[in-house]
Amino acid sequence: MNNALRKLGQLALVLFLVTLFTALLVSLLPGDPAEVIIPFGDESDREALREELNLDDPLPVRYVAWLGDFVTGDMGNYYRQSITEPVADRVTQAAPVSLLLMLYAQVLALVIAIPLGVITAQRAGSFFDKFTNTTAFGILAIPNFVLALVLSYVVGVELGWLPPQGYVRFSNDIGEHFRSMILPSISLAAGQVAVYMRLLRTDMVATLQEDFILMAKAKGLSNKRVLWRHALRPSSLTLLTVAGLNVGTLVGGALIIEIIFTLPGMGVLIFQAISERQYVAIQSLVALIAVGYVLVNVFVDMLYAALDPRIRSARG
Amino acid sequence: MTSRNSTRRWIRLLALLLGLSMFAAACGDDDDGGEGATPDDGAETETEDGVDSTPEDAEGDPVMGGELTYALEAETNGGFCLPEAQLAIAGMQVATTVYDTLTKPDADGEIQPYLAESVEPNEDFTQWTITVPEGVTFHDGSPLDAQVVANNLDAYRGAYEGRNPALFVFVFQNIESVEVVDPMTVQVNMVTPWTAFDWFLWSSNRVGILAQAQLDDTETCGTNIIGTGPFQLENWTVNEEFVATKFADYWLTDEDGNQLPYLDSITYVPIPEIASRGNALESGQVDVLHTSDTEQIAQRLQGLADSDEIKLLATDAYGEVNYLMLNQSQAPFDNKNARLALAHALDRQLLIDVRGGGIGQVADGPFAEDVTGYVEDPGYPQYDVELARQFAQAYEDETGQPLEFSYTFVSTESGQLTAQEIQTQLADAGITINLDPAGDQATTINNALAGDFQAVGWRNHPGADPDTQYNWWATGSPVNFGRIDDPELQRLLDEGRQAPPGEEREGIYQDLTRRFAEEVHNVWTSTTVWAIAAEPNVQNLLGYGPQGGSGAFPGLGTGHDVTGIWISE
Amino acid sequence: MPEVEPTSVKIDPAAGEGPDAALRHDDPDGTVTLSKTKRLGPIGWLAIIWLGLVALMAFVPQLFPVPGLTERFPDALRDRDFGPTAGHPLGFDTSGRDLLSKLVYGTRASMIVSVLAVTFGLIVGGTFGLIAGYFRGKIDTVITNAFNVGLAIPQLVLAITLAAVFASDANAGYGQRVLVVTFAIGFASIPILGRITRANTLTWANREFVMAAKTVGARTPRIIIREVLPNVAPAMFSIALLGIAIAIVVEGGLALIGVGIPADITSPSWGNLIATGRSQMLLGEAAQVMTASLMVFFTVLSLNYLGDVVRARFDVRDSAL
Repeated sequence: MNNALRKLGQLALVLFLVTLFTALLVSLLPGDPAEVIIPFGDESDREALREELNLDDPLPVRYVAWLGDFVTGDMGNYYRQSITEPVADRVTQAAPVSLLLMLYAQVLALVIAIPLGVITAQRAGSFFDKFTNTTAFGILAIPNFVLALVLSYVVGVELGWLPPQGYVRFSNDIGEHFRSMILPSISLAAGQVAVYMRLLRTDMVATLQEDFILMAKAKGLSNKRVLWRHALRPSSLTLLTVAGLNVGTLVGGALIIEIIFTLPGMGVLIFQAISERQYVAIQSLVALIAVGYVLVNVFVDMLYAALDPRIRSARG
Repeated sequence: MTSRNSTRRWIRLLALLLGLSMFAAACGDDDDGGEGATPDDGAETETEDGVDSTPEDAEGDPVMGGELTYALEAETNGGFCLPEAQLAIAGMQVATTVYDTLTKPDADGEIQPYLAESVEPNEDFTQWTITVPEGVTFHDGSPLDAQVVANNLDAYRGAYEGRNPALFVFVFQNIESVEVVDPMTVQVNMVTPWTAFDWFLWSSNRVGILAQAQLDDTETCGTNIIGTGPFQLENWTVNEEFVATKFADYWLTDEDGNQLPYLDSITYVPIPEIASRGNALESGQVDVLHTSDTEQIAQRLQGLADSDEIKLLATDAYGEVNYLMLNQSQAPFDNKNARLALAHALDRQLLIDVRGGGIGQVADGPFAEDVTGYVEDPGYPQYDVELARQFAQAYEDETGQPLEFSYTFVSTESGQLTAQEIQTQLADAGITINLDPAGDQATTINNALAGDFQAVGWRNHPGADPDTQYNWWATGSPVNFGRIDDPELQRLLDEGRQAPPGEEREGIYQDLTRRFAEEVHNVWTSTTVWAIAAEPNVQNLLGYGPQGGSGAFPGLGTGHDVTGIWISE
Repeated sequence: MPEVEPTSVKIDPAAGEGPDAALRHDDPDGTVTLSKTKRLGPIGWLAIIWLGLVALMAFVPQLFPVPGLTERFPDALRDRDFGPTAGHPLGFDTSGRDLLSKLVYGTRASMIVSVLAVTFGLIVGGTFGLIAGYFRGKIDTVITNAFNVGLAIPQLVLAITLAAVFASDANAGYGQRVLVVTFAIGFASIPILGRITRANTLTWANREFVMAAKTVGARTPRIIIREVLPNVAPAMFSIALLGIAIAIVVEGGLALIGVGIPADITSPSWGNLIATGRSQMLLGEAAQVMTASLMVFFTVLSLNYLGDVVRARFDVRDSAL
């Protein structure tokens, strides 16, 4: 219980600092932020902006005001000539795209990596094991954007098997939706496959030498059953944690993949905010990603503890 | 009839770009008669012939229905509250889909009434009278009348409560007042005579007429799109798609009395990278794309067109000019030697060959070949490294500083490559240039507005009447980004604005072109080529043009009409 | 890319193995038992040779018999034939410049950015990591939480954000932009480098010889530098190798997004060679993207491999995280 409270406190602290950092990004801008954010327009617009962002207030006041807005879904605005548009409007459109992409990539990576990891662990030292391992090591050195560019060109354009870019919403056409997500998901998943596979393999090699496995074998359980039911289970917890932590990798990767495949997700939003110099939007988008990432990890942590109570005591 | 003439002209313009083989293919079939708004209008047929080896395919009766997907080079993030919007070509393309302008140019580059029934000046061009037809309705069912037109014009010129236009205030500052004379007639009074005001009512499709409800919408004017255009907004997901469906009560019919538009819907998808846009077309994800990336046109689209996989329409007619816009309010380009050095140092043909796939022509002035004021040889400084070195040295002697400047550009892949090429060329003349990627188009424009640049890669001045460029160069105008302050230039601009059409006016603008060359206010590089590439079954891409005119306007740099597009089986 | 992100590195015991890891067994607590005798092997030597070559290209590109960067070959341009010819083994880019020389000269910017970035991250993160791991207690809590905050923002997102914010000055020069990119990547790598250092410091700080030094009254900075640091150094070194690999890829990512090193013709980087070669690739001129990608690939591969070797050799405990 005490432990849970402490964790909660840590979470609050991390969230506080992360949001503080991002909330103050705009203040890091060289020069007068109002000038940078609204290069056009007149002084009254800038005055309104200073008011809105509380630029003239002391730091704590500004932060609290920002936080109040942020948690109620007000992420500031895009500031354009005569037009301001809430950032939140865009986020509600974009976030699902990115989340789906990451979900598909994650599922794809696990679906491929788990069998490979189990088989290579069981046959550690075999040719298949070495081959898979070496391949995985090589894949780790291929930047995902290179893979994306090549897949888009070769599979999408030259072969014409799948859409080389573009996005179809789930609600519009399910089949097309999945087709449009295959190449991006593969580009994003490839590296993850290598990581998960190698991780699972090492973990299971160790597990397979543990007493309870030997016991199970001694009891006459089939090799297959031991491998998939008994040995995989503890290793899957490690895998789960890594998968959770890897969300950060996925977010960064998804950002570039989205741009290459023109998927209208958070990556494209950030990209556009950067090229339009929409600093308020950049700040909110980064804060959102950071908060989401922290919460995912907390969730994974909780899941981890729930799945294996031993871990909690062992780690506590 | 003018159509034979216009057809020839059209062919010639196309041939400039598409090469002789297509020219030949197009020549066989220039005798189609007909008024402006006919499906088999000459201009259009030739267009299709230009790239399609079987001209018959392009003929036949239009097919009603169908959905078209059109890939644009950019999203219009600022929305479509036209008086306040900053529309680049992608925005103009969407605007012409949902809005109509009071006037529109035809195949000969003559401006004609379009949504208006008539647009007439008085004798000395100090007063213009606009009459709108009865029975036209906006997408929301409200009628088009003189009052809403007057309100629109007031909104554009910054005299309408609740609307705050930025650029159009200056464009229309020569308007003294706008009056409703009767329910269908608006009278516009000018400060000084304004010969080409009817051109401004088109303004490259930027001056569409908005419904009263949209004009009065203070919160969502940019997305609450209500026009009289052939299509009405169905759904707009920014960065994803802009879906517009057929407006059943549209005011135009084709020659056979068929209700226009033919298509059921048109969907615009923004795909900023041309490479991805090409992919989308090639893989059939989109039906049409537009691009000004001549390298892609030459190296990719042309090949697809040659093998009949797509049809391609490319032209620099009435197009923009590419140039390096110089900031003359600060060093180094407040010094003429620096400007001359730069102009002499650029091998523009090489630039076109390397970066433009050899498509497009060297430009020595701001105006396209068919525009009043074009001069074949205005005396613009030509490529000469030796001279460039001398002027650079002269600059250094005068100022004590070596010639060095930063070059701002839109940081797309193509923008970067062009910047690199310019950098390479200038290095030969000993001029140092620092690359300053500015972000997207809008940001680059903002930088220019703020005067926050030394030299910037620019593209502007499309259209067919030179007076429409007035504000870009007028002394003190906020959109005179280069801060040109040249009394002689100003005199020519003012005289040209007031001069009645004719030789004298032509002479004034030719002098203007020469003045530009002499002073090197801008470093012109090449004509901008715009291309539309489409699936072979997409017909009548440019539509019919204004009712009383000679056919569809061939310029592609300002967006094109979509009313007449149809899809054959 | 998994290695873009610190997370996959830090808790990934598997990353501790080379491709031939099957030769050894890991005992249940994660320490390596059989690999202490692990030698570099032929692949390791290949990696070192490659990295040596990369270092030469970065520091003395003049050594390589390639044309200058602004030198143009009109023949290729005229015929639009950019394939290899005599003296130009990789052919040309579509502006008629020698591709190999772009790759060679492009090494410098890529390596400078990534090495400097990681050095910066290592100095800052390493210092705090040592302090946290050595003193523990409240200091540790504060520093670790700070690291956690940093880790809460995906590294690439953080780097992009910083690059965007600090490059907002419209007239920033080339040098300034390189600095911004370097700082952005370096700053973003502080937390992970710091955490790894801390974890390894923890395992060494209570060893007998450290205790002994304390007992004889050595001053704390001296203990940290003389006793702890040398033992933590291999871990820092191995993670630095991986970090450089990550930084190279991040630089490419930044270039694709348009906030990377400016694509100045006189100082390209691998990242912006990839970024500016995309449309050419679709036109069938894939050489620039492919060769620049291969440079990245081999360099990252070599760094990853050597990083693994170092870890296996020095028994780096990253499971302590």
